[in-house]
Amino acid sequence: MLGTLENLCELDPAASALLTNKKPLSIGFEVKNGPSATLTFKNGKCRMEQGAQNCDIKLPFSSCEKFNGLLDGTVTPIPSKGFTHIGFLLKDFQGLTDLLTKYMRPTPEDLEDEDFFVISTSLMFYTISVAISQIANNDKIGMFSADHMVDGDIEMSIEGGPAATVRVKNHRLVTIKCAPSNPRAVMHFSSVKLARDLFDGKVNAVASIGSGKIMMKGMVSMLDNLNRLLDRVALYLS
Amino acid sequence: MSFKINDYTNSAKLFERAAKVIPSGVYGHQGPAEGCYIPVSSFPLFSEKAKGSYFWDVDGNKFIDYMCAYGPNVLGYVDEEVNAAAFKQAQIEDCVTAPPKIMVELAELLVDTVASADWAFFAKNGGDTTTLSIMAARAATHRKKIIFINGFYHGVAPWCQKVDYPGVIEEDVSNNLYINWNDFDALEKVVAENEGEIAAYIATPYLHGNFKDNELPAEGYWQKVRKLCTEKGIVLIVDDVRAGWRLDLAGSDHFYGFEADLICFCKALANGWNVSALCGKEWLKSAVSGLTYTGSYWMSGAPFAAAIACINKMKAIDAPALFRKNALLLTDGLRAAGANNGFNLVVSGEPALFYLRVADKDENLMLHQEWVSECVKRGIFITNHHNHFMNASLTQDDIKQTIDVAEEAFNVLRKNHPEL
Repeated sequence: MLGTLENLCELDPAASALLTNKKPLSIGFEVKNGPSATLTFKNGKCRMEQGAQNCDIKLPFSSCEKFNGLLDGTVTPIPSKGFTHIGFLLKDFQGLTDLLTKYMRPTPEDLEDEDFFVISTSLMFYTISVAISQIANNDKIGMFSADHMVDGDIEMSIEGGPAATVRVKNHRLVTIKCAPSNPRAVMHFSSVKLARDLFDGKVNAVASIGSGKIMMKGMVSMLDNLNRLLDRVALYLS
Repeated sequence: MSFKINDYTNSAKLFERAAKVIPSGVYGHQGPAEGCYIPVSSFPLFSEKAKGSYFWDVDGNKFIDYMCAYGPNVLGYVDEEVNAAAFKQAQIEDCVTAPPKIMVELAELLVDTVASADWAFFAKNGGDTTTLSIMAARAATHRKKIIFINGFYHGVAPWCQKVDYPGVIEEDVSNNLYINWNDFDALEKVVAENEGEIAAYIATPYLHGNFKDNELPAEGYWQKVRKLCTEKGIVLIVDDVRAGWRLDLAGSDHFYGFEADLICFCKALANGWNVSALCGKEWLKSAVSGLTYTGSYWMSGAPFAAAIACINKMKAIDAPALFRKNALLLTDGLRAAGANNGFNLVVSGEPALFYLRVADKDENLMLHQEWVSECVKRGIFITNHHNHFMNASLTQDDIKQTIDVAEEAFNVLRKNHPEL
């Protein structure tokens, strides 16, 4: 979810404005016996990388549950490093995450605004496409799906909207937030509205394939397994 | 010659109606999603009528059909002899409190026809019989575990789906063991690792899975499997639902020179009438007798009559030999049509259930999907992910027309892809 801040800063000028005229800064997140990542904020943009060795502010979490509490707003993290940057953490970073929450948990009224709708759906798309790879690599059932996938790039894309590559190599998946040059399989949504309805569970993917609103081609067995992973995304993100 | 390009306006309209009242519009393997209709706009979604090797869709387009309803159409749609037998039986009795006597006649015919059969148990779908075979194996051995071949399909009951499928829970498949096809060493290993715990080994007579070239059994594979299963008390189940009756009327195990303990039939058994059968060896009859397993329509008479007529007709015309001869003519012609345009059409599996793939360097099936789409738009119904089926009503003219359409579709591919 935090990785979606990258896209938030690209898509919403209000987000990048929070970072403008600020010194470059990085925040490391480290979960005990779990994953770690660093968000770097520079020139109005945000970038996420694995690991938390080199960062200005480090936020340690004793468990995955505590880290999830940060995302839910129920846990206030205490930095182990970078106390002098606490202002950024409490003000600017908090502002960014609040904005992300607004897009990721929108009100029906917010969604009536067309620009908001597109940004919100695009952010959901990026979050989901990254979550697919995480689930494939870490979730027991997800790993079973990944074990049945052949190597190659899967294109996930929305007409007039964002695209992503889910790269499969030796049954490990990684998501790249742009379209592949030579996909082995393609799943293309015909509109942002359709993608939204799918993400919200209002329409079914199988029915949408039948009506031609979702176009698939290439190595369909990869898409079969991708859909099984997609099915588990809701389990985690909800 | 230039073939007409089909219009599917009515199909699309009917699909819209269907989607309102039927989950996903058309669910399962006959629907556009699972049926891999790529793109959907190239395929008919509903049929209006069928006869012989053809069906007509709701837009009036006629197709030479190589999917044969995914197998049941073995003699030709609306076969007059089979239908006459079924209609006659329906007029006498069909679904009755006491089972129609014709059930015994069909069981006797199966025992006389299928080499490994000492008895027959009837149901409706192929999945009914594969599920019964697993229950029978577990009842007979008092063991839990089942060995599957990766890439398998044995129906839609939870035990034969996979752990990541919607609606399936871990416990449904927790006793499933998976090995690769033709890998006897892997089979020996998994048997050794689960000594005394394996109830059954279930497999199709050869690997006719989707999305990849079909694989025949390696020399001696089945004989080694048979020997190992016998030594270890493992029930050897052949799922002959798809291939049954097209390779050998005595069963596909007979075709490959071994005997299954249990063999599952459906699809071609009654030329589209709804009946399936599990046949088995004498030593398993008692276990099956003790199972609680039945259904409201499993002893209906009309499908039994259809099955008897169908089997007798398949015997009279030596259907497997006919399928092989015509399939080789057809697939040789299709291959040549590809080669004429610089494409390599790979044909695999048994000829009667041939599997096609246009080879491409990226191995992503997109070129193949494009070719299939061009064929379907011109009235040849084939699929891009599944094996095909021969039926006895196919004529030499049908074969010629199919090859001509294939050639034109390859022409289109060549024009679309000058870079290849």
